[in-house]
Amino acid sequence: MNLHYILLDAVRQLRNVRSVVLTFLLPIAMLLIFGSAYGSGGAVDQATGLPWLVETTVQMGGYGAMMAGLSQAFAIVNERSIGWNRQLRLTPLTGSTYLVSKVVAALLVAAASILAVVLVSVLVLHAHLGAPQWLAAGFGLWIGIIPFALIAILIGQHARPDFAQPLFMVTFLGLSILGGLWVPLSILPSWMGNVAQVVPSYWLNRLGQLGAAGSGDVLVPALVLGAWTGLLSALITWRYRHEAARA
Amino acid sequence: MTASPPIRLTGLAKQFGRLRAVDGIDLTIDRGEVVALLGPNGAGKSTTIDLALGLSTPSGGSAELFGGRPRDAVVAGRVGAMLQGGALLPTTTVVESVALVAAAHRHPLPVAEALARAGVAAFAKQKVARLSGGQLQRARFAVAIVSDPELLILDEPTAAMDVEGRRAFWTSMRDLTGTGRTVVFATHYLDEADAFADRVVMMSRGRVVADGTPAEVKAVVAGRTVAFSARAPLGDLPERLRRLPEVQLVEVRGEHLRVASTDSDAVLRLVLGERSDAHDIEVTARTMDDAFLALTSAADAEEAAR
Repeated sequence: MNLHYILLDAVRQLRNVRSVVLTFLLPIAMLLIFGSAYGSGGAVDQATGLPWLVETTVQMGGYGAMMAGLSQAFAIVNERSIGWNRQLRLTPLTGSTYLVSKVVAALLVAAASILAVVLVSVLVLHAHLGAPQWLAAGFGLWIGIIPFALIAILIGQHARPDFAQPLFMVTFLGLSILGGLWVPLSILPSWMGNVAQVVPSYWLNRLGQLGAAGSGDVLVPALVLGAWTGLLSALITWRYRHEAARA
Repeated sequence: MTASPPIRLTGLAKQFGRLRAVDGIDLTIDRGEVVALLGPNGAGKSTTIDLALGLSTPSGGSAELFGGRPRDAVVAGRVGAMLQGGALLPTTTVVESVALVAAAHRHPLPVAEALARAGVAAFAKQKVARLSGGQLQRARFAVAIVSDPELLILDEPTAAMDVEGRRAFWTSMRDLTGTGRTVVFATHYLDEADAFADRVVMMSRGRVVADGTPAEVKAVVAGRTVAFSARAPLGDLPERLRRLPEVQLVEVRGEHLRVASTDSDAVLRLVLGERSDAHDIEVTARTMDDAFLALTSAADAEEAAR
């Protein structure tokens, strides 16, 4: 593993304009709109026992973090179409280091995005929650995006540049809505709540909510997200070997 | 002691579906040589380079760098390359791009030194997207040399450069290769091969059709083409033209004849002496494509005779 390369590549992405708009500005804007819509007067969501404002903060934090993960698809598709990958193949860098660098970049951008959302929530909207709970919620959202970075890598491996955009949009919209990242599931039709149980974004949100509630009941979300991580890793490895064998 | 040559290709072949892009290449390039890989588009130059670098797997034969697998030479940082379609990320600056690739290598040059050697220090802080064609090629060159390689492989390095840019590029190349580095560059400019290489390998249709000094190769390309039409059947004239020592190619299309030769005078004398019906006579300087065609059909004929 080449840590120097991985860090340089991650910092480079953090400075990219697209990641700023998609993963910072949009979730903050939505937090400012929805946070004050549901969250006035510190009302509490009966389903989770969390104040609406905190719940919205977790949703938007998760949404931004998920974007940080998913938008790696653009990075990869771009780098492939430009030929940057060919350039990298003339270095000692291994395929797995390249993929790890994308996950690390996703984690770095996600960390910054989660922090920004929480800060806006606390400083601008005056959300009330203890520091340990914020920390737990933030950590849960952060670590939970690994499967999303892997989904992005899978899209990046398969999609042609012109196909990446629609594929990304479908994935991203589906995960956002079904996982209850935009609108709380408790106010959506009940069948969507059932579908949500298999979607990683639901469990990402859940991980954040549990952290915010100070609950240690994280076994189920950890298992589901872990299963997604394992499945996606297997698919990526298979695809990578398949491509290498064909070249 | 004889060190392994930087490049050794043995019976190298690559098949894409029904197309044989590289069709059995044997080529050894020794340390310190500056070799031009000359050929028209589609001659198989880029595919050969990809195979030599281990970026794709041969369908037949083998490619060795420094006596071992290409990937080992790449990992050791002994090879640097500018590939066709190997571009830099538009949103990064030149210095960031070089630093990224340097970070990927094990024993890179200091980034500043790579920038200075490639002559890109003046625009190192610019975004790649805003570079001119010539500047971009130089930035890619900086990336190619950052591992301080012994062997440089450049696929059409001066594409998108104007004449002035090309000259400047090759001048800085000379400074670098003065130290015994081996350089292989692909080009379809004969003048570039002539001016900067001490060996020219001509490729056509996936094969090596000529291999020699620039002077030798230029002589091959230097001929003229004589074309004319006749009113009566040509009889054994094409056969007799083929037997002229300097004639490389005779092409018959009905009553129309094209003859490629380095001695067009002899061809004209023979034709005009016998055929008063010859008309629409044209003598044209040979293009490089004609020369390649001549060389390729000569190679085909040789093979058929065997």
